[in-house]
Amino acid sequence: MKTLKLPAGLATVVVTALLATACGGEANDAGATTGELAFAHNKPWDFDAFSKVSKQDIDISLKSTQYSGDPYRAFIRQSFRTKESPGLFTWEVSTALDELAEQGVIAETTDLWTEAVEKGYVSDAVRQLYTVDGKQYCTPISVDNWVMFYNKAIFTKYGLSVPTTWDELMQVAATLKQRGVTPFWNQTKNFSFVWFQTLLAGTDLRLYNDLSTGKAKYTDPRVVAVMNNWLELQKKGYFNDPGQTDFARDLMREGKIAMAPEGTWFTADAALAGMTMGKDVDMFVIPAVTPGAATPIAIETAPVCVGESSKQKSLGLKFSQWWMSPQGQQPWVKQQGNLPFNSDAEAPTPQMKALKSKLAAGKYEYYNRYFEATPVPIRTVALEQFSAFLTNRGDPMPYLTAIQAAADEYWAGR
Amino acid sequence: MLLVFYLPVLYTFYLSFTEYNGLGTPEFVGVDNFAAMFGDSAFLGAVRNTMIWVVGTLVLPVGLGLLVAVLAYGFRGSGWLRLPFLVPYALSGVAVGVIWSFMLGSGGALTQALQFLNLPGTELRWLQDSPLNTVVMVIAAAWQGVGVNALLFTVGLQSIPKEPLEAARIDGATGWRLFSTITWPLLRPSTTVVVGLSIVNGLKTFDVVQAMTQGGPARSSETLALTMYRDTFVNSDYGLGSAVAIFLSVVTVGASIIYLRRQLSLSSASLGGGK
Repeated sequence: MKTLKLPAGLATVVVTALLATACGGEANDAGATTGELAFAHNKPWDFDAFSKVSKQDIDISLKSTQYSGDPYRAFIRQSFRTKESPGLFTWEVSTALDELAEQGVIAETTDLWTEAVEKGYVSDAVRQLYTVDGKQYCTPISVDNWVMFYNKAIFTKYGLSVPTTWDELMQVAATLKQRGVTPFWNQTKNFSFVWFQTLLAGTDLRLYNDLSTGKAKYTDPRVVAVMNNWLELQKKGYFNDPGQTDFARDLMREGKIAMAPEGTWFTADAALAGMTMGKDVDMFVIPAVTPGAATPIAIETAPVCVGESSKQKSLGLKFSQWWMSPQGQQPWVKQQGNLPFNSDAEAPTPQMKALKSKLAAGKYEYYNRYFEATPVPIRTVALEQFSAFLTNRGDPMPYLTAIQAAADEYWAGR
Repeated sequence: MLLVFYLPVLYTFYLSFTEYNGLGTPEFVGVDNFAAMFGDSAFLGAVRNTMIWVVGTLVLPVGLGLLVAVLAYGFRGSGWLRLPFLVPYALSGVAVGVIWSFMLGSGGALTQALQFLNLPGTELRWLQDSPLNTVVMVIAAAWQGVGVNALLFTVGLQSIPKEPLEAARIDGATGWRLFSTITWPLLRPSTTVVVGLSIVNGLKTFDVVQAMTQGGPARSSETLALTMYRDTFVNSDYGLGSAVAIFLSVVTVGASIIYLRRQLSLSSASLGGGK
């Protein structure tokens, strides 16, 4: 009977944890806009340090509680069934956001977005990611661009230049391979999508977007061709063993890989591994596989949301508004060493300044990262199948067929 | 009891007949979830893997536990012999998974050791190929479970009355004959408990697999408990997850009842025969 008790036990733990930590003991602030804000999150970032800044600036401190893994989503969902939904919590801009918005359990933020976009704090492209049925929900705490990070010492050692075209990138990879260095990082499980995203969007961004919205099929010959391209790179030995569970930052520091496609949040990761941006590691925009009018760049945005029925709704919304503003973004990106999405906020490092200038001057087309762009039930299967494809190199069709079966089921129910 | 057990069980049973994403109101869909569950090849794979776990958990931790208990029993300082087998039991399943992942992962300690010693097996992908991944995880779990089973069997051995053993020895029974004809039948109460617990533990295997492969690659090492977790907490399909939970519970309870009834009837028969 223990098995049957598991869901019950989890549900009990979820509700108890909710009451005890994220929202427990909070008095109904009834519109208060200063005080202590309960903040549930699933990020490894130092929100306690950031809380000191917000406390000083807007007299709101964060009482952070970190959760990890998939149960976090269940925890948040279950909290809406109680009278204690969180004042502020992290989420994802996928169909998981649509579900919360459609159920009316999260506070609308359209007014905050209208003001922020009018003032130029956030681009309209990012606003679209937070839009459900014409209204906005949640606000961003970061908008990361996916670029290629590289080990500078390895590039210097072999006299390699930063590639600006796909052919040049492949030439760099071939040289590295010849010299016994694994060119690229890849990994199964949650990161198994990275090279599918890079190759597909870099080859045909419209096809990538059509796939995300169910207008194209995974078994489309063009998708199969991209998978075969991926397979070709694998066979050339351009990737580390995908089963390795080591962090990319550690493999890069040890010189076991030369390059890793990551979000700009990787700067914080690199620092954790003891690498210094500009000295040990740097980054470049990933060139398109098929050059077009604009180079596609994946963006990954981390939202914070406010529970509609939360007793701390006003407090949460005020904090969200501040975090989007230059006053909130500036100290946040300084702490994280990251690229600010707010154009009025200054990039914290010379490398981020250079990237910001490059992105402002060039022609780039931004797209939502595969993890968020793909409906969750399809994503779950896709990550499993991409992992299997990486583990058992061969004909991509069985893997794509399995993903398409999940996609057919999902889109049929919409 | 009502609040923490019966109500959640009934609620899970109710959810298994609904479509529910954890928000809003569950929508009644009849037996659709059960039909989807049985029609999913990955579910059938999870059933197969769970059966491997049940058999493996019976053969390895129970068999080795019995062997350790019998070999160590009666020796001076036998507690010290059992201690190394008991220490892993103090670890959580997740910790066991992490340790064994380090050993069995790609390019992990085991592969490196085999390479260093120039032994075959370096080409084996312990956690990536099915059913090898399930088999090695059963071994990992056995490493943890042998000690406690040995302890339970030792308690059973200590509770056996000395008279029949002495009588058998006087009659010339030693070694295997003594064990198979006297010790083993008298150990039945302990064996019933150990085997019963092992069946249940095998059926609800979760933590070691979650820590080592998360059921992958491509769900190839998934057990029923992981299927339930995946459907409920990864895909937020609470209805389907509840259907798997109900199925798993019915199998677990059914297996336990059948096993215990059989054991009790055997005990009654042996008691009757002794009269």
